Amino acid sequence: MSVMTGAPKRATRQTAGPVLALGHRSRMRRLVRWAFLVPAAAYVLFAFAIPIIYNLVLSFEQTSPATVSHLTAPFAGWSNYTTTLKDPIADSAIVRTFSFTVLSLLFQFIIGFSLALLFNLRFPLRRFARSLILVPWLLPLLVTGTIFKFLFQLQGGAVNQILHDLHLIGQPIGYLLSPGWAYVTVLITNIWIGVPFFTVLLYSALQDVPAELLEAARIDGAGPWQRLTRVTLPIIRPVIEVVFVLGFVFTVKVFDVVIGLTQGGPANSTQLIATWAYNLTFQNFEFGQGAALNTVLLLIALVAAPLYIWLNRETLRGDYL
Amino acid sequence: MTPKLRRRLAAVAASIAALAALVVLLFPLYAVVVASFETNSQLFGASTYSFFPSVWTLSNYSVVLSQQGGHVLSSLIIGLGTTVLTLAVSVPAAHALARYRFRVTALLVGSLLIAQILPSIVIANSMFLVYHRLGLLNSYVGLIIADASYAVPFGILVLRAFMLGLPGDVISAARVDGATEMQAFYRVVLPMSRSAIITIALFAFLNGWGDFIFALTLLNGNTFEPVTLSIYTYLGEFSQNWGEAMALAVFAVLPAAMLLIAAQRYIAAGLTVGSVKG
Repeated sequence: MSVMTGAPKRATRQTAGPVLALGHRSRMRRLVRWAFLVPAAAYVLFAFAIPIIYNLVLSFEQTSPATVSHLTAPFAGWSNYTTTLKDPIADSAIVRTFSFTVLSLLFQFIIGFSLALLFNLRFPLRRFARSLILVPWLLPLLVTGTIFKFLFQLQGGAVNQILHDLHLIGQPIGYLLSPGWAYVTVLITNIWIGVPFFTVLLYSALQDVPAELLEAARIDGAGPWQRLTRVTLPIIRPVIEVVFVLGFVFTVKVFDVVIGLTQGGPANSTQLIATWAYNLTFQNFEFGQGAALNTVLLLIALVAAPLYIWLNRETLRGDYL
Repeated sequence: MTPKLRRRLAAVAASIAALAALVVLLFPLYAVVVASFETNSQLFGASTYSFFPSVWTLSNYSVVLSQQGGHVLSSLIIGLGTTVLTLAVSVPAAHALARYRFRVTALLVGSLLIAQILPSIVIANSMFLVYHRLGLLNSYVGLIIADASYAVPFGILVLRAFMLGLPGDVISAARVDGATEMQAFYRVVLPMSRSAIITIALFAFLNGWGDFIFALTLLNGNTFEPVTLSIYTYLGEFSQNWGEAMALAVFAVLPAAMLLIAAQRYIAAGLTVGSVKG
């Protein structure tokens, strides 16, 4: 899992010191060790543990704008969950989040892997091209959403202009005005954002495929396609797994792009779980229902957790376990 | 066809394909820069899109420079604050988790991996209410704490992996020479981890600078607002002020562009260890 840990195992390790005398100095030393962890522990508690637990509590409470100033509200049982999940908008947002994630990952992989194979060839300017390709990944996501909103405009939009100039369409298309097209537009934007990530990770994996192995396969009569499927793909499979898990984690929580492009519209046709949960909480002030939908999102994201931890098993093991 | 000629042709074909891919991937950025020099009537409601307009104007920039300076400054403060907080929290923790044996190491690393997965909107939802009680809404401190939630788990995990790779002998030697644990950390571990720390710092900055979700939920716009929120409000329901929004977008993408030129090595390193955004 060199992609994840990025570090070779430490050759010699520092032993924890003699534990015989738990005297003053030794206790002092242990305190220093724990002191290094205090800021991180405090941060994780405040920024992750408390919000997640509080979100769970909220999802079982009867909240209203009046209860905002109190930390607790009356117990509501499962009613937030039943109300939220009975709502067809939330249901379609959940289904849409799934299809959106699957389609995003599929196209990001196909395009990213093709580009990785391309950059693996020798040609002039390839280093230059490889660094420029990172740009879409680094932009603020809301800015990307806004830029694509501009490109996909009905009147005077670049996309309509290009398709018109190529004689592919007669009339300009209102991409952000029709539900089906709006979904496709958000999808295209998200794919554009993720392609550099897939490309760079898969490219660095391709670099690690031993040239002698490919050469040996070639001498044995394997064609390019066979070399790809029988030699390259099995070798880089661990990286492919990592890329898909990270891609999944990244895509289920897409928010900024949707808000920047469509704000979930038209007619809620591009609402994903994250954006609809935002709407429930911050537009409708239904904190309990928003929290319930957030718990659903949390559970979906956590599906990736066992896999993610398994892929990072060497990191977890460190030198010590 | 000689093998040499074939190789040449393949290189040319690959160059052309790479160029085509770059055009598609970078066209949106070109379009923003061009649009930032156009007037609103050229941009909104125009019947055609011109790839290279005949009339250029600086008016968007003069408006943005006179009205948006404060927002750019806010974004800078948020980006730098996020960087400082991320490093202050993650560097010592990474050191401890790499160097010392704790019973809870696996548990801590495992929870950091899970923290990386948590969607920001889940945190923002309840953090709003907590902040409301603590009076942290509309404050830099509150926003920076929230924004660091992208980079802190990532920072600890990446730095720890890097520090596990440092030769333990050097640290032991420093200790034998009479350095305290703190001195060994400052004088040996920190300088040796420089490149990894720079990578984390860059990503923390870009995360703070580019954050939108926490700015949208934890600020009401009356005290200060970062550039991302400002772009969003520019294109709100009642205005279609594309020219100025695009000029502001150019400012918003500037740090990423500059860092890519100045510190590409570190950016690429951060990407290969799997940085998860938002």
